[in-house]
Order: sequence, then C-alpha cells, then structure tokens
Amino acid sequence: MEVEKGKTAKYRKEKNPVAKEVMENLKNFTKTKKRLMDALKEGDKTVPQLAEALSIPADEVLYQVMSLLKYGFVETGDIDDMDEYFYYKIKDNGKD
Amino acid sequence: MSEKKILEYDVLVVGGGISGGEAALNLANLDYKVLVVEKDLSLGGKMIALSKVFPTLDCAACITTPKVSEISRHPNITIMFSAEAKKIDKLGEHNFEAHVHQKPRYVNIDDCTACQLCEKACPVSVIDEYQQGLIGRKAAFIPFSIASPRAAAIDITNCTLCGACERACPTGCIDFTQTDLDYVVKAKAVVVATGFKLFDPLKIPRYGYGKYKNVITSMQMERQLAPTRPFNTILRPGDGKMPDNIAYVLCTGSRDKSVGNPICSQVCCMYSIKQGQLLMGSLPMADVTIYYLHIRAFGKGFNEFYEQSKEMGVEFIKGKIGNIKEKENGNLILRYEDIEEGKVKEAEHDMVVLSVGVMSNSEISDSFQGESLVLDDYGFIHQNDILASPSETNIDGVFVAGTATGPMDIPDSILSAGAASAETTSYLRRAVL
Ligand SMILES: Cc1cc2nc3c(=O)[nH]c(=O)nc-3n(C[C@H](O)[C@H](O)[C@H](O)COP(=O)(O)OP(=O)(O)OC[C@H]3O[C@@H](n4cnc5c(N)ncnc54)[C@H](O)[C@@H]3O)c2cc1C
Ligand code: SF4
Ligand code: SF4
Repeated sequence: MEVEKGKTAKYRKEKNPVAKEVMENLKNFTKTKKRLMDALKEGDKTVPQLAEALSIPADEVLYQVMSLLKYGFVETGDIDDMDEYFYYKIKDNGKD
Repeated sequence: MSEKKILEYDVLVVGGGISGGEAALNLANLDYKVLVVEKDLSLGGKMIALSKVFPTLDCAACITTPKVSEISRHPNITIMFSAEAKKIDKLGEHNFEAHVHQKPRYVNIDDCTACQLCEKACPVSVIDEYQQGLIGRKAAFIPFSIASPRAAAIDITNCTLCGACERACPTGCIDFTQTDLDYVVKAKAVVVATGFKLFDPLKIPRYGYGKYKNVITSMQMERQLAPTRPFNTILRPGDGKMPDNIAYVLCTGSRDKSVGNPICSQVCCMYSIKQGQLLMGSLPMADVTIYYLHIRAFGKGFNEFYEQSKEMGVEFIKGKIGNIKEKENGNLILRYEDIEEGKVKEAEHDMVVLSVGVMSNSEISDSFQGESLVLDDYGFIHQNDILASPSETNIDGVFVAGTATGPMDIPDSILSAGAASAETTSYLRRAVL
C-alpha cells in the first residue's frame, strides 16, 4: 500500500491508537510549562522561588526548568547574593 | 509473512561499545567482513557518555568520537542499531547462524541531516535516559550531540503521532510505516562484547537514593561534569543549588555480600578520584570528601593520580557508611564508622554521590542455542583459559571482549578487544588451512 511521504503518522494512528498515558503526559508537560513560563514572565526567579510560587516540588521545578532551558525557552541569569541559586529567565524576553 | 533476509559475514560482533567497536575495527582492518549488532541508537556504549577519563583526564568525547567514526565509516563494517541477536546457533565449526531482530527507528538515518527541526516541533517531553534522567528530551530526538550516527529517532512509546515532526522535517526522512525487521545472519565466528550494567542503588534503601533527590549516582555526576551536561552548571537535583560540600560513597554495590556482589568493580575508586579532581576544577570553593574502605589504585599512573587529588584538596576518610538521612534544607547527614578511629560519627554534606559498581549483563547467554554460553559465578562470561587465551569462551569460535568478562577500565577493555580479535583471527585462519 502506498502511504504519502510526510503523512505517515496519520497512517500509523489509524492502526495503532495512542495510549492514554501518553496524552496525559503531554497535557501535564504543556500545563507545567505554561505555569513556569507565566511565573517567569513576572520576573526572573530561582528554583526555590518558582517551587514556592507554584507549589510544585523543587526537584520537579529544576527538572522542568532545565528541560525548558534545553528546548530554548528559558535562559540562565545571575546567581543570587549567597552564590547558591541561579535566576532563570524567559529567553530573549519571550519571543517564541 | 515475508522470508527473513539472509546476510553473510565473517564475524558477528554483539555489542557496539568501546570493546565491540575496537574488536570490529581490528578484524575489519584484516579484511574480514564484520557485522556489529548494537541494541542502542548509537555506538560508544558507556564510554561515549563519560566526562573525562582517568588517569590522563583526556576528554572522553575527544577519544571516542574519532574512534567511533572510524568504525562507522569502515567499508568492511556493517552496523545494525536497535538490534539484538535473539538466537545464536553453532551449526558446525566456522558456521554460526544468528537470528537478529531490529526495531524500527522511524527515521531513515542516511537522509537525516540532524537539523533538529523535528525535536523543536515535537510537543512531547519525557525523561532523557542519555542524561541519566536529570532532564527531559523530546519524543523525536537525537540521542545526544556526539551520538554516532548523529541522526534522529522516534520514541514510539511516548509519541502522540501528531505528525508535527514529519511536517517539520526538510528531508522527509521520518517514516512511521517502518516495521520490525528480522534477519538470519551467517558468520564464521562470534565476538560477544555486551558490556556491563550499573548497580541499582535502590537496592540499598539506607542510602536514600530515589527518596532523597540530592543523592545521585556517579553516572549522573559524569553527565553533570561533561561538556554536554544537563544543567547550566553543576547543581543538586533537589532544588538547583550549586553544591559546595560533596561526599562520595565508594563501593556502593561492590564488595558487598548483602547485595549479592562480593567482587570489586575495579573502576569506582579511580573514577571517583577523577570526579573529585574535576569538581575541584569546576567548583573551586567546594569541599569534596571520599568515604572509602580501601583505595585500589593499581594501574599505571593511578597512585600518582590518587596522590594528586589529595594535593588538590580532596579529603579521604576511611569510613563505612551506616545510613544517610535528609535534613529539611535538602542537606544530607552521613552516619559512618570512622575505621581509623574506631568511632561512629556523623557528617553533613549538601550532595552525595554513590559510586555504583559494575554488574554483569548476562542476558546474551540465553540467546545461545544448543551449547550454552557458560557464565562465571557473578554472571560475567566465563573465560575458558584466562591465563593462556583470555578471550576464549567455552564455545569454540565464540570470543569475548571487554567488560562482558568482568569489571575493567577503558585501557583494559581495548587490550581485551585486541586479544579477542587476535584469537578470532587465528580461529578464522584455521578454517582456511
Ligand atoms: C561512572 C563511570 C565512570 C567511568 N570512568 C572511567 C574512566 O574515567 N576511565 C576508564 O578507563 N574507564 C571508566 N569507566 C569504565 C568504562 O565505562 C568501561 O571500561 C567501558 O565502558 C567498557 O566498555 P564495554 O564496551 O566493555 O562495555 P559497555 O560500555 O557497557 O558497552 C556495551 C555495549 O553493548 C551493547 N549491548 C549490550 N547488550 C547487548 C545485546 N544483547 N545485543 C546488542 N548490543 C548489546 C550496549 O548497548 C553497549 O553499547 C567508568 C565507568 C563508570 C560506570
Ligand atoms: S509525531 Fe510523535 S515524535 Fe513526531 S512530533 Fe508528534 S509526538 Fe513528537
Ligand atoms: S527534522 Fe528530519 S532531517 Fe532534521 S533531524 Fe529530524 S529527522 Fe533528521
């Protein structure tokens, strides 16, 4: 059977439905990403500050912020006065 | 059902880490046709993920990359990724038949330019196993920047089939119609180079790994120290604080009968000393303390390397860790027996690295049909005559290279691969004579 190049995902989806957990994971990531980005739009923050503002465990915040750094949404700012925690900010002031 | 494709080679090498790669290269340079079957998406095994290597502190990527590209470009070497040898049968002398199963990558690697546009387009973020779980990666992803081949792959179990990657790909190399492939491989000899597994520290609950986020493994620290590190700098995973007082717990899962592994992993002392030196370089204000039972620095240049780390300020305490507890601020209290003073003491650190041991990866022995591949008491591949021909297994024509035989470092893995290729060659020559 001929499947059009560039549209093969659709073809696979017809035969193999996507698992519920996969869609759930996408939803959670999108939601957390939005909350983190919104909080950073209000000002640069450290991981503990984000954790407190959003009531998300700090280890989860670090994981997500570092992932957003890798994906190009966030960048590293200065370190705090105690030389302990870095501030993170929206990359290029948020033009994505 | 379509017929299985039949392929013929002189040698089948199982495992494309540094040992399998080196053995393949030696054999290919002698004009033998070699098939390397690698179950991962890249060549290089554990070595390609390391930061720098003891005792020279050469950058691991700088050594691995040229080697790996030589292997992948060699005209006598074919490499199958995402592939495993499911059944290996010795039909007669110089006559092996293997059934190789290959999972689809959903990307045609020859056409992929590694432009990363699919990665950018993919909306899914999942745990990045190549960064030891410290950050996420996309479901359309290039495994890591120095992967060989440097080409994308689709993580089909986590993919929503939204098609964004395909639409973004300028070369049209993403193909969700790819299916599993099965091959029958005929070879005259087999080299097993399936490497090792890392000890799982969840098996020692009193160290708190998994529960306390600032207790990490040495492999996670390797990633943090590598140029392609997961974080903007070295940070503790619990809250992103830059650590300034780091402890190492040597022999985590090694020389420990209670976890079923009484043997020494041979590399943990040295890689921990290496990491200690690298940490002193990256975090000049940090204290590094290594808790050890014995320091085994037996190789060429190793003792000097150990002495050098002491001169740099790495502290060594001969102590047996009882347990680790977490304080509210994420710091960790290590309760230990100071062996020299014979006293139980406590010490506070803001991050703890568990120097996890080298465990056997014994599954390959199940693939052998008929005559089974014998393992030693610890699940590593038994060497028939360890003194006279260290790469011979119990099956004539099946040779073993690197950490598949037991814990060893990179220089010894390369030597072992050299021995395996030499013994394979002499076995192949016997077929001609
Ligand atoms: C934290 C840490 C730091 C280290 N630092 C150093 C250092 O500084 N210097 C040093 O000399 N050494 C170091 N080492 C040791 C070094 O990693 C090993 O010596 C080396 O990686 C061994 O290579 P290998 O090819 O034998 O095994 P591996 O690297 O384990 O490679 C095995 C390969 O086989 C593949 N494979 C496994 N099973 C199958 C199968 N059934 N079918 C197909 N393919 C399969 C795997 O995917 C992998 O690619 C370190 C180790 C650790 C854990
Ligand atoms: S089809 Fe899958 S891999 Fe491709 S962009 Fe969508 S979720 Fe990501
Ligand atoms: S977009 Fe296509 S060419 Fe670019 S990395 Fe992804 S699969 Fe490869």
